[in-house]
Amino acid sequence: MEFSLEGLGKAPLAGLRAQPRMEKTDQSLLDAHRQGDSAAFGELVRRYGDSVLGYLVRMSGNRERAEDLFQETFKRVHEKSHTFRGPQFKGWLFKIATRVAVDGVRKNKRMKTISLNQQTDCAGQDGSELAATVASDNSCNPSEQAARAERTEQVRQAVGSLPARQRATLVLAYYQQLSYHEVAAVLGCSEGTVKTQMYRALRTLAQRLPEM
Amino acid sequence: MEHHLTERELIEHRFRLTPDDVVSAAADHLARCAECRGRLEQLNRKFASLDLLREDVQVSQELIAQVLAQASKPAPAKIVPFTKRPWLGAVAAVFLVGLAVLIGSLMQEQPAKQEFARGPELQQTISSGQLRQQPEADKSKEAMVAASKPSASSEMVKSLADEEADTKMLMTAKEPAAIVQNQPAGNLATAEVRTDMYAMAPAKDSKRDNESLRREITSGAAGAAAPEAIAEQPPFAPASAIELVTLPRREKVQLTIYNSADLTLVRERRNLTLKKSWNWLQLMWANTLIDPTSLSLEPLEQKDKIDIQQLVFPARLRELGRWLIRSQISGQVPFEITYFTSGLSWRAFYMGTLSQDEKTMKLEGYVRVANSSGEDYENAQTRLIVGQVHILDQIAELAKRQYPYDRPVTGLGYGMGREGGGAGFGGAYTSWWSGAGLRRTLDTESLEEAKEVRKEGLSEYFLYTIEGTETIPDQWGKRLLSFEAEDISVESLYKYDEERWGDQTTRFVKFANDKKHNLGQTPIPNGDVKIFGRADEQGHLSYVGGTGVKYIPVDEEVELNLGPARLVQVEPKLMDYKTESYVFDNNGNVAGWDEIRTWKIEMTNTSALPIEIEITRGFGTAYWTLQTDIPYEKYDATHARFKQQLEPASKRTLEYTVRTYHGLREQAFTPGS
Repeated sequence: MEFSLEGLGKAPLAGLRAQPRMEKTDQSLLDAHRQGDSAAFGELVRRYGDSVLGYLVRMSGNRERAEDLFQETFKRVHEKSHTFRGPQFKGWLFKIATRVAVDGVRKNKRMKTISLNQQTDCAGQDGSELAATVASDNSCNPSEQAARAERTEQVRQAVGSLPARQRATLVLAYYQQLSYHEVAAVLGCSEGTVKTQMYRALRTLAQRLPEM
Repeated sequence: MEHHLTERELIEHRFRLTPDDVVSAAADHLARCAECRGRLEQLNRKFASLDLLREDVQVSQELIAQVLAQASKPAPAKIVPFTKRPWLGAVAAVFLVGLAVLIGSLMQEQPAKQEFARGPELQQTISSGQLRQQPEADKSKEAMVAASKPSASSEMVKSLADEEADTKMLMTAKEPAAIVQNQPAGNLATAEVRTDMYAMAPAKDSKRDNESLRREITSGAAGAAAPEAIAEQPPFAPASAIELVTLPRREKVQLTIYNSADLTLVRERRNLTLKKSWNWLQLMWANTLIDPTSLSLEPLEQKDKIDIQQLVFPARLRELGRWLIRSQISGQVPFEITYFTSGLSWRAFYMGTLSQDEKTMKLEGYVRVANSSGEDYENAQTRLIVGQVHILDQIAELAKRQYPYDRPVTGLGYGMGREGGGAGFGGAYTSWWSGAGLRRTLDTESLEEAKEVRKEGLSEYFLYTIEGTETIPDQWGKRLLSFEAEDISVESLYKYDEERWGDQTTRFVKFANDKKHNLGQTPIPNGDVKIFGRADEQGHLSYVGGTGVKYIPVDEEVELNLGPARLVQVEPKLMDYKTESYVFDNNGNVAGWDEIRTWKIEMTNTSALPIEIEITRGFGTAYWTLQTDIPYEKYDATHARFKQQLEPASKRTLEYTVRTYHGLREQAFTPGS
């Protein structure tokens, strides 16, 4: 689709030719999905995928599990799309993701296994993440890398040790940078409750986080 | 705000958790208060670590594809729960109740009809065949199978084909008639032996079984015995654990304990009742330390008619093995089962009691056999191996030999052991150690029950066989008297050697493992020795000392170190020291000299017995000469040794002067000068 500015001359401006396409709103994409437009659903997944996956990784503390939860989240979105009443798709999406994450974490706790390799296990729920952190660290100094990986794991454990509600509040407000009002909408509670949960989470973390 | 901010206020300020006016008031305070600012910075440093988790997370195309593939499926149909349609629940409940009533009434009608249809011939055929002694639980199955067949033989054959499922149940049932065990089940859990004799293959061969049953019925061989020929193919190993269990009692069991390797060879003899057919023998070793790879089974009789085909370990059944045995005979056959187990150990220890004059000693040897193998061993012949054994094959070969060189002098053979795992030793039998050389002082009663240990020399190691049998339950230990020898002449010796034991006199008891000392029949295994002395006229004992002894071969002398002797003291005093005979080199420096020391050694014996004391003195050089009136022995290049007798409660003094040569003066040294 090309745009031309009326009244500024016949010749279209080169710069305006490169104007990005106007994005469809979440609502219109969801409507299209309901009508059977699979591309519309794909657009929604791409639009919020990184954000939702990031949220689920922080909620579950494990990339692999987060990917499972991610699939479950969008599966529910697909199945429940007819129940969306607006106004904000993002809030609704995170609401579903939160429910999936909380259920998933609870289920995972029930099925928790004890690793025989304590060294691996103490690094977190999945020791491979520590290695991944080390590997992904750009620092040239191996000892710095290791120290950073260790601190990251400490933070991951500290966040992971929070109750699900507090963790969801913290991740939504701090990492996903939702306003307290939006967090309240996602979690289905009042803003005051969100702040209380947030404070409790931070108070706990203040005891458990390493100093930078 | 006048007061310092609390942690809560700092957190709320940092994360804007309070209304704006509170936030600004806190900001004002922070601007004024360095302390609060410091605390806030500290908190910020902590919360900054949260950013470590702020890594970019990106969804892979693969994951998106998976999600889209999932979404391409149609959304599931809407489910309306019963709770929203209560009447549906009621309808379903009524339907289920009706269905249950209908099935119940049909089940009641069916047996009556079948009972009526069953003829007397069939009843005889079945009852005299494989199901003759079927247990109660299986009788219902029998009734169902029998009832399902019409009276005429031809109809029965047809019915068999139609009722394969029921027949299957029949075939998997046990055949108790074939598993008659005369012995009651033993209370030993080890190696539970289950014998399951199948004339036919179980469930998986049901078709073939159908055929054989069909032949039996059609030929009218009612009440005929099982066919004489043995099937070419063995039956499939029963995969379930529902077989009839029989526990033939162990007839004999022999333990050969290899201490050095935590290994015990167990040889069991059990009488198994076989059927002329394929037989399954099941052995379980749950909760024991048996090595399943070492299991071996061998018939002791009728070897040419019994073929041990294979040992299988069924899937999903742990700690269980089944032997497939093809037998051409029916009846009881003795078998030997051998295997290795861990958890059995033994150790030797000894107690010596010195006589009043400390010239003779009574020595009692014990063996403590401990069983933590998870298995009770009842009336087990126990054999102990002393020494290092290196090759497993040798162990097995050795252990299989009943009497490696000769039969033990028993008269109280196998099976004469005491049962019950009681105290196990004492007055009743005071010795089982190998007989001849040991001078036993047993009364008549103890002689009757005396036990023996037979020692066999086997290159690098020795085999001791404890006479008779012993019951050693799991987790129990048992102390057995291994030998008892009295009037062993001993030398009580006191030694003083500063370089070895400091300034204390050390007491030794010396004897030899030879015939002269009423010993010498067998080597003595290593173990702890405790020596007691007679404390008074009444024979009360006092503890003298203890030590560990190493393996004592026959004819070898042994000195038992009993520790410091407080009743005998030795005190050396240097009385004089001088140097002389200096030699100078060309530059006038000292190049050689002699040192002359005069020592006075005071020996005090405060005990009530005369003693012999051995004093060893070291000079630090091989160039020495000694001047003394007391005889001494040059023990080695640098040491001299004095031996002195001391009367009870006496004191003696020993004096000597030693000259040592140093430097160039060593050249002037003449041995024996």
